[in-house]
Amino acid sequence: MFPKRFVLKRLLLLVPVLIGVATLVFSILHLSPGDPALTIAGERASQEFVERIRADLGLNDPIWVQYIDFLGNVARFDFGESYVINRNTTVREVLSNTLPVTLELALYGQLFGILFGIPLGVLSAVKQDTITDHATRVGALAGISVPIFWSGPLLILLFAQVLGVFPTSGRISSSFSVSAIRVTGMVTIDTLIAGEWDMFRSAVRHMLLPSLVIGIYSMALISRMMRSSMLEVVRQDYMRTARAKGQGAKITILKHGFRNALIPVITIIGIQFGGLLGGAVLTETVFAIGGIGTLLVEAIEVGDYPIVQGTVLTFAFLFTLVNLVVDITYSYLDPRIQQ
Amino acid sequence: MPELSAIRERGRLVAGGAVVGGIATPLLMVGLVVAAGTPPMAAAETAFAFGGLWFGFGLLGWAGSVASGRAVEAAQEHLETGTEWTERRSRRAMARIGGFGGGTMVSAAVLGTIVG
Repeated sequence: MFPKRFVLKRLLLLVPVLIGVATLVFSILHLSPGDPALTIAGERASQEFVERIRADLGLNDPIWVQYIDFLGNVARFDFGESYVINRNTTVREVLSNTLPVTLELALYGQLFGILFGIPLGVLSAVKQDTITDHATRVGALAGISVPIFWSGPLLILLFAQVLGVFPTSGRISSSFSVSAIRVTGMVTIDTLIAGEWDMFRSAVRHMLLPSLVIGIYSMALISRMMRSSMLEVVRQDYMRTARAKGQGAKITILKHGFRNALIPVITIIGIQFGGLLGGAVLTETVFAIGGIGTLLVEAIEVGDYPIVQGTVLTFAFLFTLVNLVVDITYSYLDPRIQQ
Repeated sequence: MPELSAIRERGRLVAGGAVVGGIATPLLMVGLVVAAGTPPMAAAETAFAFGGLWFGFGLLGWAGSVASGRAVEAAQEHLETGTEWTERRSRRAMARIGGFGGGTMVSAAVLGTIVG
């Protein structure tokens, strides 16, 4: 049964979370040095011009009036226009161009982590204290320990420079233009929808290496979690009972153990997704992919406040939404959680 | 009614924090004006933003405690960490912090309107 009450409660919690994040962002930006009007006008602009911009932006209003206006704009997801990075372009427009890039990267990274992390974790637990288990654990430890800014260039060096299997940067070959077939903004999906197979192949080849880099950490964490969770589950009485009733080892693991062992792993996957969005900043930089992470860093550097506000709130919204999905998933896996 | 008393208890927590925030704001403003030479209006605006930090943190912490507090509590019990951290205490602390921030923001807005 779909847990309506549970989901409603979780959805209602989104409101204080977003107000909290919006208030924090507003306060931090207000306390940080720098004048947005001066940033827009440029340092050589006349005082009159700067004052006019300040009045246009409502910066002469008391801070509490600005705060109320800001919360109203947040509710409408309207952060105004970019000051510096994309002048005269709304933040919503800028985000709609960059967000799919990061999402695509994080989604493939997560997919990679799940597809390899879960089976490796199960295998490691089932073959406890064998050479397979030791190899998986060492691999997982290495995956968690190696930072993206080191593994990224190394993988580029190996797969792009030495072997020449994958391209070094970008999202698709420069000979293709994806703007005409844009639907979701994610090149692999857009090219697939349009049935452009050459473009699709190029997009997948460009996406593989960054996804691998971003997914290694996720895979390592998931496999470690899956192993310890599975080891705990296999010691439970119901597993012994299933075996005593004559059920085969594989069936017992897959039918009774897997679902129960998955609950803490699902939580980790949810938390991990936020980390992947953060990790996307580094991966985007290493592979020269212009996503929301790169945009945020650039906006902080040049003082483009509307972009900073829009990006941080989008991150917060996405993170809470993913956690909502996680909550629903594990309330489905373990109905006791709904209580 | 148990629900009414629970609401009253929560209200008391938030109000307690808000009163402390309300009292702390003029002191902070005076400190900024006297020690840093900040104009009174700018001091009120700084106090408002300062209160916003506490309010935002409290709100986020409260929502986080409500959403995942029980799971964290259960995990800590399971792992026998012995931290004595509980969802209820976290929620109450966050309500106080949020109340303090809210009180500071309201007080700064009122004082700013007076001095501005």
